[in-house]
Amino acid sequence: MTSVYRPERETDFASFPHTIPIVIDNGASTFRIGWAGEAEPRVAFRNIVQRPRHRSSGETVTVVGETDPALMKYFDCTRSSIRSPFDDDVVYQFEYMEYILDYGFDRLGATSEVGHPILMTECECNPSFSRARMSELLFETYGVPSIAFGIDDAFSYKYNQKLGNCGEDGLAISCEHGTCHVVPFLKGQPVLEACCRTNVGGFHITDFLRQLLSLKYPYHSASITWEKAEELKKEHCYVALDYMSELQIFKNNKEEAEEKTRYWQLPWVPPPIEEPPSEEELARKAALKEKAGQRLRDMAAAKRSQKIAELEKQLSYLEELMEQLDGAEEEEATAILGRSGYLSQQEIKSAILKATQSLRKAKGESNGNEEKADASAVDKYPLVSVPDETLTPEQLKEKKKQILLKTTTEGRMRAKQRRAEEEALREKQEEERRLENPELYLEELRARYSELSDKVDQRKRQKLNGGKTNGNHNSSGGVGRGERLNAAQKERMRLLTSAAFDRGKGEDTFGTRDEDWLVYKKMSKDNDDDDDGNDDDESELARIASKIQEMDPTFVNKTEAVQQTPEPPKIRTLTAEDYRISIGIERFRCPEILFQPCMIGIDQAGIDEMVSISLRRLMEDESVKERLCQSILVTGGCSLIPGMIPRLESGIRQFRPYLAPLKLVRAADPLLDAWRGAAAFAASSKFGRQTFSLADYREHGENLFHRYNIVYSL
Amino acid sequence: MESEEVLKMVVAPTLPFKKVQTADKYPKGQSRGRQWKHLRLLLQAADATSLPPDRPNYLNIQSPPSIYPPKRYCDITGFEAPYMDPRTKLRYADPEIFKQIRMLPDEYVQRYLALRNAAVVLR
Repeated sequence: MTSVYRPERETDFASFPHTIPIVIDNGASTFRIGWAGEAEPRVAFRNIVQRPRHRSSGETVTVVGETDPALMKYFDCTRSSIRSPFDDDVVYQFEYMEYILDYGFDRLGATSEVGHPILMTECECNPSFSRARMSELLFETYGVPSIAFGIDDAFSYKYNQKLGNCGEDGLAISCEHGTCHVVPFLKGQPVLEACCRTNVGGFHITDFLRQLLSLKYPYHSASITWEKAEELKKEHCYVALDYMSELQIFKNNKEEAEEKTRYWQLPWVPPPIEEPPSEEELARKAALKEKAGQRLRDMAAAKRSQKIAELEKQLSYLEELMEQLDGAEEEEATAILGRSGYLSQQEIKSAILKATQSLRKAKGESNGNEEKADASAVDKYPLVSVPDETLTPEQLKEKKKQILLKTTTEGRMRAKQRRAEEEALREKQEEERRLENPELYLEELRARYSELSDKVDQRKRQKLNGGKTNGNHNSSGGVGRGERLNAAQKERMRLLTSAAFDRGKGEDTFGTRDEDWLVYKKMSKDNDDDDDGNDDDESELARIASKIQEMDPTFVNKTEAVQQTPEPPKIRTLTAEDYRISIGIERFRCPEILFQPCMIGIDQAGIDEMVSISLRRLMEDESVKERLCQSILVTGGCSLIPGMIPRLESGIRQFRPYLAPLKLVRAADPLLDAWRGAAAFAASSKFGRQTFSLADYREHGENLFHRYNIVYSL
Repeated sequence: MESEEVLKMVVAPTLPFKKVQTADKYPKGQSRGRQWKHLRLLLQAADATSLPPDRPNYLNIQSPPSIYPPKRYCDITGFEAPYMDPRTKLRYADPEIFKQIRMLPDEYVQRYLALRNAAVVLR
């Protein structure tokens, strides 16, 4: 199986004689290597290097070109990023270049040595240090006999000239990976004095797209990789003929914009749908619940019976004790009392009473406390009815106490009774009113209810206001700076500050009066809760609410309603929609940077304007320029973006005289033409005169490259 | 099978056609540091001094700024942007986007600014 990512190693390297040059199109995006005279490069791969660590052996290895994600699991890429030997379009990192050349020659099938002349492409006006380092690398490391450097756009132009796409005089517009060039050609040779370069290219488009999408979809930024953005760019991007009107479409015309928007669906698995539990399941659950409940009930019953038995035992013991005491003499009685741990007969009686009561309660009988209390009123206060004369001084004291107790309890009882009577009266009155005019009555009740509930609410809010300090109840009871204080807290603060400032002012008289100390009580923060009135209001509110509810079943108690609502914050289930990345305006916004580099902060002219700059730099007559404009070749990877040629044409027309002739042609194959042109050139007989050897380089050094320009021929 | 595929991706450490092997050139375990410089520095060091200004070189073939004033586009939506937020310095197209801008975390503001090379770079 041949992997798409991995070119197979060529086997016929040895069959080529040493005079046949190897042609390398060293483009910033793709490295292509092949033999002179052939139609296609033998090997092509992305011009990148990664140096990950092999997971099993732990060694740092070098991976060149595209990587198969399925195989990358064998490597640890956390500490290595993708590197390119290029900055814009100039090779400047020769260590990476060496890895790439290693791989290229290896794939081409080199065995013992690379004994062939090399033709390598480069950018326009490649800096001489880059050429020098490249030649050093080729000569010293690979033992190459001779080298020639040529401009890729020139090769592409020459190749298309051969195909008849463009004339001897013309312009090449090349939109490459990292840069764009416009090169005029006169008599078939590039005029480098007049060429111009803008540092915007396909890389920037892809990067812009990637950044925009990952900013738009922060949750999916992990899946928006550079490779994916490149894919999206190739598939969906287009150049708008008129950028402004295209923007207007997207701004105002929703349908057309929707039509032009593309979507990229990320892999999304719908969450499992929760099925409602079946009948059996429900029955099973109910049975389980019932079982558990039964167990609890059994336990409770057992406990109760145990308690009853205990109480009965105690009761019988106490009764026995009483009987003993009744039948015993004075001295014997005290001995019995001492043994039992009770102080008096009275105490034993009350203990019996208590035990019988709790026994009755445990048995679930009705609590006859009230009647009992009434009945025992005489027993409780035995001294009250006894005349004073017969009592000892202690008993007198006791009697006084009992009288006091009796009167207060009676008073309380009377008050209770009165209140009940009042309540009944009011109830009756209300009932009458209700019967008289039910509508009005309900209305009144409602009004009163809302008034009361407002009051309660307000009070609650006031209370909360002070108590809730940024949600954390810190122990210091401090109030957040921004929080509002309630009245009590304000007063406390005032007291505290005045106390702090009065200290040391004049003579200290604090403490001479008793009232002074009260200030500490006021200062203490425990006296905040003065909600006695609040309770009354609340109970009244509840009463009215129940009344309204009685008459109007639709009525909803406000406090209850509030308590019911605190729902848990619902988590929206993610749908496929959330995993869909829409590419609308980005489709033409990203390629637009070729025409308006200032969109990504590059202050240079766009490619349409570059043509006019290049023509201005060309010190020629208008007739020559007119001739050039009739043979404009558009090449480079970005020229494949749909809409490029019409947009360029309209753009260039703005800089040309009215009705000046203009003809633009896209290169036959914008990607491969440079290599094909170079291969054709290397195969021609004139190639030998254009190369330089190691001896030439040793003689001239870097100066060799200052004026180095090959003569391009078909 | 797997290892074969994996080996195909990896550049062999020693290649018979090379006169100097990579391992000899860049000995292992020896810290090389950052031997390379940025292209701009290299260009300044080399060409600017040694080349006559009338001849084309890598630096002077660069295109000049556009003769047209740069158009302003909304940083978020890409529409034409008549306004700029004085706080974040982001350009925006309409009040809706302005609200969105004010909600953006600072990191995102800086990333949007970086798209057009206007971010604050701390060195």
